[in-house]
Amino acid sequence: MLEFPGQRLRDRYAIAGIGATEFSRDSGRTTRALGVEAVRAAMLDAGLGPGDVDGMLSYHGNDSTASPVIAGDLGIRLNFYMDCSGGGSSIEALIGLAMGAIEAGMCRTVATFRAMNGYTGNRIGGTGRQAPVFTGLSLDQGIHGMHSAAQSFAPSFMRHMYEYGTTSKQVAHVKVAHSKHASNNPRALYPKRVTVEDVLSSRWITKPLHLLDCCLETDNGVAIIVTSAEHARDLRQRPAYIMGVAGRVNKEQPGGYHWTRGPISRVAGGHAAPIVFGQAGIGPEDVDVTGSYDAFTFTTMLQLEAYGFCKEGEGGDYVSSGIIELGGARPNNTSGGHLCEGYTHGIGHVVENVRQLRHQADDYCPGWAQGQHTYDYSEGGCRQVQDVEVTMNLGWASPSTGSALIMHN
Amino acid sequence: MTPHSGSQYLGADVAVASNDPEHLQFLEAAGRGEFVLQQCAECERLRYPIGNACPFCMALGWQWAAVSGRGTVYSYEVVTHPIHPSFRGLVPYVIVLVELDEQRGVPGEHDALRVLGLLVDAEGNPEPEERAGINVRVQVDFADLGDGLALPRFRLADEPSEFPVWRYGYDGAG
Ligand SMILES: [Zn+2]
Repeated sequence: MLEFPGQRLRDRYAIAGIGATEFSRDSGRTTRALGVEAVRAAMLDAGLGPGDVDGMLSYHGNDSTASPVIAGDLGIRLNFYMDCSGGGSSIEALIGLAMGAIEAGMCRTVATFRAMNGYTGNRIGGTGRQAPVFTGLSLDQGIHGMHSAAQSFAPSFMRHMYEYGTTSKQVAHVKVAHSKHASNNPRALYPKRVTVEDVLSSRWITKPLHLLDCCLETDNGVAIIVTSAEHARDLRQRPAYIMGVAGRVNKEQPGGYHWTRGPISRVAGGHAAPIVFGQAGIGPEDVDVTGSYDAFTFTTMLQLEAYGFCKEGEGGDYVSSGIIELGGARPNNTSGGHLCEGYTHGIGHVVENVRQLRHQADDYCPGWAQGQHTYDYSEGGCRQVQDVEVTMNLGWASPSTGSALIMHN
Repeated sequence: MTPHSGSQYLGADVAVASNDPEHLQFLEAAGRGEFVLQQCAECERLRYPIGNACPFCMALGWQWAAVSGRGTVYSYEVVTHPIHPSFRGLVPYVIVLVELDEQRGVPGEHDALRVLGLLVDAEGNPEPEERAGINVRVQVDFADLGDGLALPRFRLADEPSEFPVWRYGYDGAG
């Protein structure tokens, strides 16, 4: 068996810039306009001009604008680009590919983006507007009435409840925590704090999922600049150093369906964990802040379990213990995440961890841009975690596809 | 690539491409009242869903093998918010993930032949959620798609469960 390369690239690459458009449900703009604004914002954040970026990566579901168009609009000539189809765990994978492209000498500095009209354009949950024919792969799953991500993933959560006694009430705490964080995020689409009762009394989408267990389809563009650590140190912002990355790790899944093999409540993160922690040379106990993908409340929980933040089966206790809230021992998705800030297909979670590592969470503290925070987490206050040094992103595309990224400041 | 035409499910066309004989033969067998799975010509293991090589030994050769269509519900959900327009009239409906009796615990203790399907009553209407649950015993049932094809679904089997039935929202579960 070939070994993974271990810690050879640890701290050799960094995220040097971040940028985002407004999060809305009525952008009124093309994904091209959103992508251009986000990439430009990330370049300006890093202090880069068009001649300083020569690589570009993006991911999409046939709902974006390709890199050469975005680069062309900004006067960037690319030495390397790739636009790939992919789900929510793509961003960590693309950050790893950016490192690889730079390491291979194909380019020097890479802008990675996701641009989507996730509400007014191509809704991932499906619009129900068309009556598509049943053909090809839909003869295995869609024809049985299983179409959206909620419908596809729900049996994994149901089985977890059966195996371990996990409850909807426990998992509702994920939404409660993320809403608390969003209330201190001026950009959040859903900044209102909610209670466990609010989640449990919201309408059913597919049992065991309520409306408030599901994320917010959003129009947005978000971008990240990856470059060598050496180069990042010369740029405008404090670098977020990459300690480890794992990209698009699968479970065994005949036919590509997550429900075919093994315990379906056990997600792919269990296979990504030894890769990413092995590279970083740390364990879950060393992580200060997590960004666990919250397409749904329970996806956050299943991933925290898979990466060893708690034991298998104890995710319900973990997420309802207060640990994941601001002020708790290891806050999760301090921006409010997909459940409350807005759905970015994963990239927003990485951007938020970069902000945390810079001590520049853009909250309601007047001095946030200078890293001055009150650490008062009451509504309309601070969302910066005190003394944060190590963050981790737990990316998700499905129960059988996950990615991860560990960074430090 | 001209699709097989003339078949419909819930008012939507079922169009199996002419270069997809595996799905066509699967639905044709169901049309004859047989529930068939691919069986590897080398290791003889069954597999589901349809695939182009054996996920256990990588062999390409296979043949159809009929199975009993009896199994146990491994997980399920109750869909209340439909996406595909054809399912709007059906909500709430239960989708069951069934472990077939054949090849349970193979190759690993947590593996099985898992099959998705709508849980329906004798008339083909969705069973109410209080009749569904993990560990419920089910058997295959066929929905006629027209033009010789049918779709395997599941109905309750008149036999006791091996383990206690677990239902979300009942007896404190979930
Ligand atoms: Zn075989």
